[in-house]
Amino acid sequence: MSARARRVGLLVVAVIAIAWPAILSDYSRSLATDGLISGLIVLSLVLLTGFVGQISFCQYSFAAVGAFTVGSLVAAHHWSFWLAMPLGVFGAAVVGALVGIPALRLSGLFLTILTVAVALFFDRFILASGTWDAFSGGLSSFVVGRPSFLGVHLDTSYRFYLFVLGTFSLCSLGVWNFRRGKTGRVLRAIRDAEVAASTLGINLTAWKLAAFATSAALAGLAGALLAVSIGSVSTGGYDLVHSLGVAAVATVMGVNSVASAAAGGLFLVFGPEILRHLGVSSQWFNLITGALLIVQLIVTPDGMVTDFQHKLGHLLRHRAARKAPVPATELDVRDDVPVRTGVRS
Amino acid sequence: MGLPAVLGVNFHLTPGYTVIGIVLGGVYALAAVGLVLIYRVSGVLNFAHGAVAMFATFTAYEVSTVKGAPGWIGAIVAIAVGAALGFAIEYFTIRPLHGRPALVKVVVTIGWLLVLQTAAGLIWGATAYHQPVRLVSRDGFRLVGTDVTVGYDQLTTVIVALIFALAVAALLRYTTLGNAMRAVADNPDTARLWGISVNRVTAASWMVGSAMAAVAGVLITPLIAFDTFSLTVVVIYAFTAALIGRLSSLPMTVVGGFLLGLAQTYPRMFSSLSGTADAVTFALVLLTLGVLFRPGGRKVRVV
Repeated sequence: MSARARRVGLLVVAVIAIAWPAILSDYSRSLATDGLISGLIVLSLVLLTGFVGQISFCQYSFAAVGAFTVGSLVAAHHWSFWLAMPLGVFGAAVVGALVGIPALRLSGLFLTILTVAVALFFDRFILASGTWDAFSGGLSSFVVGRPSFLGVHLDTSYRFYLFVLGTFSLCSLGVWNFRRGKTGRVLRAIRDAEVAASTLGINLTAWKLAAFATSAALAGLAGALLAVSIGSVSTGGYDLVHSLGVAAVATVMGVNSVASAAAGGLFLVFGPEILRHLGVSSQWFNLITGALLIVQLIVTPDGMVTDFQHKLGHLLRHRAARKAPVPATELDVRDDVPVRTGVRS
Repeated sequence: MGLPAVLGVNFHLTPGYTVIGIVLGGVYALAAVGLVLIYRVSGVLNFAHGAVAMFATFTAYEVSTVKGAPGWIGAIVAIAVGAALGFAIEYFTIRPLHGRPALVKVVVTIGWLLVLQTAAGLIWGATAYHQPVRLVSRDGFRLVGTDVTVGYDQLTTVIVALIFALAVAALLRYTTLGNAMRAVADNPDTARLWGISVNRVTAASWMVGSAMAAVAGVLITPLIAFDTFSLTVVVIYAFTAALIGRLSSLPMTVVGGFLLGLAQTYPRMFSSLSGTADAVTFALVLLTLGVLFRPGGRKVRVV
């Protein structure tokens, strides 16, 4: 896509994202908010899988770290959300780095076993009722109120939606910038040719750990926001199946593209909702996601959003080319087109 | 007061727990052998292994517990369903991915996990209590010289698990198909030059491996609170046992299965936390990944 088409497209998306929810019902707005929060988790996978080629099936465990830190500090110890949230994000980053340490010496295949084991450990031990009671002191859940932001209390659903939208946009922009700058080149070098990257003096250990920590921090941030969005933190919702589902959706949408984070998040939240409207049990959603994942990996290896961007890009280029031929050199230096790789080992 | 009393440990329970651990371990070993077979021949870490076991087991539950057929008929149905699922996964979704990175194939099996797990939840109820599939009566006998009672179902589980593990070992060692499987595991290209149909052998390994998962699933139903999720996560226990066998050695995998079964059971003597078994599993995964798969360790085929 040309830079101008991209700018116009982004502007249109931004206007729709800000204006449309203003006229939606409270319920739909809260769904959109949750969709963006799930989008943050998909984004954390875009960073980890798409840029570094490492895979994780325990993103909701990282989210749980963020959510429970915020929940316990705000509800039980009366901290401000603005102090608890960074601590939750930091905690998630530390846990992410800890998971990343074995990843340094393992190939991608064995890392999948490790991350599933981590998710199961959180799911069935840390968040199991017995352990959880010891941690929460018998509270069945933490109740978390909405914070204020720059003097504006985020109590209405639209204000909170805008706050989450802003957070999501900033994070997406950050990840997108990573990809375009030196960081992105380093990460791509590590993903595509580890040995070559290390001979260039790239510190593989530090970069991989940083990628894991940043990805987990994004998931932790999503957890912290989820705590505030739902208004309470309890053990449900951070389980292995959720982690597998979000990994599936990220792969279906395409882990190479920042745009798939928004698409994936909204799909995760509105998919079950649409099913419910059609009179189908929302349980079907995971079945559909799994089936989509299988079909997508065979048919469009890069993911649906990436594929769509490609097609759109081709279309726009062809029309532009018919109007005014672009010098060949300009076509050669596009570095914004995702490398056609799919999931890397 | 002695130390055990202070810790609240009931050491007189040890023999009883040992029996439970060995029985669980037998089931894990069986599932893990199937997993290693599939991994060695096709190079795919099959995360749907537990889900296949779960789905096949629930068909046995449908046939035996719900419809009232004898347990062994249910078990045969489960084996057939397991083999059919294994074949379907390999033929329709793994084979088209020939030449793609191994990780892509792993993610496909995650897709199958989601599909099978959700489908079973929709058919049989995700969290409902299910009556186990009984192959033999619940009676038991007293172990000679002790006060430990061993159930006939527990004994059957261990014996059937060992028979199946030995049968696979014999298959690999003494049959043409087994030879072909070992050849493909070592080098698919060379195997092809020798006139072995790599596709057929791979499909066969998926069918045999998945059938073993199905047997393991049926055998485990009297031992655990059995629902769609608890059987699906057995794949992680199978992976743990397989990792102890470095994902290559079948005898060490069986040892790993029994080790895991005992390691999961003993802590229950002094911890009432429900997730203790999973915490122990996690520790074992970390340990095996850290120790057995360290750089500079013995070469492991990573495909």
